[in-house]
Amino acid sequence: MEVLLGITGKDFTLIAASKAAMRGATVLKTSDDKTRSLNKHTLMAFSGEAGDTVQFAEYIQANAQLYSMRNETDLSPSALAHFVRGELASSLRSRKPYNVNLLLGGVDPISHKPSLYWLDYLASLAPLPYAAHGYAQYYCLSILDKHHHPDITLHQGIKLLTMCTDELKRRLPIDFKGMVVKAVTKDGIRDIEFDDDKVVKAA
Amino acid sequence: MSSPFSINGGACVAMVGKDCVAIACDLRLGLQALTVSNNFPKIFQYGEHVFLGLTGLATDVATVSDLFRYKVNMYRLREERGIAPRTFANLVSSSLYERRFGPYFVSPVVAGLDPKTGSPFICGFDSIGCIDFAKDFIVSGTATDQLFGMCESLWEPDLAPEDLFETISQALLNAVDRDALSGWGAHVYIIEKDKVTKRLLKGRQD
Amino acid sequence: MDTLVARYSRPAYHQTELFTEQEQQDLVDGMPSLSLKFAMPPVAHPSAWLRAATDDRSNPACPIKIAHGTTTLAFRFQGGIIVATDSRATAGNWIASQTVKKVIEINSDLLGTMAGGAADCQYWLAWLGMQCRLHELRHKRRISVAAASKILANLVYQYKGMGLSMGTMCAGVTKEEGPALYYIDSDGTRLAGNLFCVGSGQTFAYGVLDAEYRYDLTVEEALELGSRSILAATHRDAYSGGFINLYHVKESGWEKHGFSDTNPIFWKTKLEKGEFSNVTSDFSERV
Repeated sequence: MEVLLGITGKDFTLIAASKAAMRGATVLKTSDDKTRSLNKHTLMAFSGEAGDTVQFAEYIQANAQLYSMRNETDLSPSALAHFVRGELASSLRSRKPYNVNLLLGGVDPISHKPSLYWLDYLASLAPLPYAAHGYAQYYCLSILDKHHHPDITLHQGIKLLTMCTDELKRRLPIDFKGMVVKAVTKDGIRDIEFDDDKVVKAA
Repeated sequence: MSSPFSINGGACVAMVGKDCVAIACDLRLGLQALTVSNNFPKIFQYGEHVFLGLTGLATDVATVSDLFRYKVNMYRLREERGIAPRTFANLVSSSLYERRFGPYFVSPVVAGLDPKTGSPFICGFDSIGCIDFAKDFIVSGTATDQLFGMCESLWEPDLAPEDLFETISQALLNAVDRDALSGWGAHVYIIEKDKVTKRLLKGRQD
Repeated sequence: MDTLVARYSRPAYHQTELFTEQEQQDLVDGMPSLSLKFAMPPVAHPSAWLRAATDDRSNPACPIKIAHGTTTLAFRFQGGIIVATDSRATAGNWIASQTVKKVIEINSDLLGTMAGGAADCQYWLAWLGMQCRLHELRHKRRISVAAASKILANLVYQYKGMGLSMGTMCAGVTKEEGPALYYIDSDGTRLAGNLFCVGSGQTFAYGVLDAEYRYDLTVEEALELGSRSILAATHRDAYSGGFINLYHVKESGWEKHGFSDTNPIFWKTKLEKGEFSNVTSDFSERV
């Protein structure tokens, strides 16, 4: 019941991840941050098997930062997405594959174009205008199909995200304890204040 | 768990015409019933007149297409010329057989024109590299049954490029309309001696 | 047989009492108990045998593929009830039909929807129609939606565990109840509610519907929202598609609002409203 959501707009990419860290029937933490920044303008959100997720994300983060230090330039979101896919694909055919689903959002440092990449644990890669993982896909993609436009502002993006989380609060049987929301713009990655306390009633 | 060949869905078809060949694919990327992307092309170009269509598990479509991009680039550097479709087909076959005991879950289709004679060449493969040469058409993906039906009834020998385009487009669109896991738009390539035309087809989006 | 036909072909409301209480009882008792009407496979555990032969989820190579996959929805609002469905039937990945009628007209006032086993829904909703007519004949007034849905729920509960597969909604408007909507499934669940979506595409329909649902929707808004929710589901769910079947139920009975192909509706929605921005629409030729 982990929720990952990503939305691109005119000049930003929004990444949101649920705050609950669950093990079996227990919520261990209600302020978990399931994202890692890979460089100044690329952010990755992850869900999947306990342990695998953070290990894989931090391995990618370390390699992205190593590249930035060695070359004094950052990899573009597209380059990083393909690098991550390669790592995940080779892990898939190893003795113990990583079981991780990812959303990779960023803004290209040169063209300032926002982008979002969807990767599942099989290392299938798809560039998308908006994406989700887990049950959120089944509830939110139809909402985004209707209400998303490529040239929305950050404010409209956050409103769209609220529509999605409202629906999840309405229909998911388990509480995901709100969302960590971050926006990537040409100026970098920024935390977004997000109202988690709103109570949503079903029709 | 369903077969790795039908998790993501997808369809591909190649056809021979008069001094031309055509290859077409759908655009769906799904996770079982869920459609994730409507823009996942499955045809890749490896030379002026060499095309590869890959259906099956999406991760392997990406891995295998990247692998052949690497191998074909190395071939071009070594040989100082582009690869011929027949040579490429043998490269595909032997590369797939290298994974005999842990295969890539893909069903490739090669289409192209011979660089010397200009004669059409198409062939298909199973996932471990057995080549299926054909003089008429090759199909692959989750809509193979439907594509065989469409191709058997629509295809005829010596179609001109425009007629071949019409034939392959109708075959693909009507086949994927009877398959739940493929469709959502299509790409068609018509390959002639001095011209390659790519067209995006507007398909049903359900 | 002729006497039976003659009895039932009389108008329901303008007749004097023809049957004594005993005769009426005989009519009801005269029907064979339901389980006797169905031939059972000659094996020790018929339901287990049937499951092995027909459940393509647990056994993809099962010999009998039952038509599955659906999106259906119904919601109550100020002006009555909207009922909408897609029209696709799939057997595995094969699209068996794009023109299935998943709204079943139980009678001129009551609608049922069809999700799960197509044959199960068709048969039992037709049977429910018969029971509703018998109720009218016996009691000289229309059956309530609550009662009709309970007849169906009790029936499917009798067959629980035998392999029936249905998720259905009963919608009707009566003087006593107003607009009434019930969800019934083959587990035996029966729920009254304002809004239900059923089938493999239910979550997609819920997404669009929940976001803009209000009880005080106008009739036009409600019809559009129902149709748009089905469209959303046909786009994202591989096992839903074909045509949008749209109904409006009012106190005067139901009214059909078309059986329309999703393809032109999709492109109209995309190109005129700018929705579905994930779908490429640049069809210019490139070399």
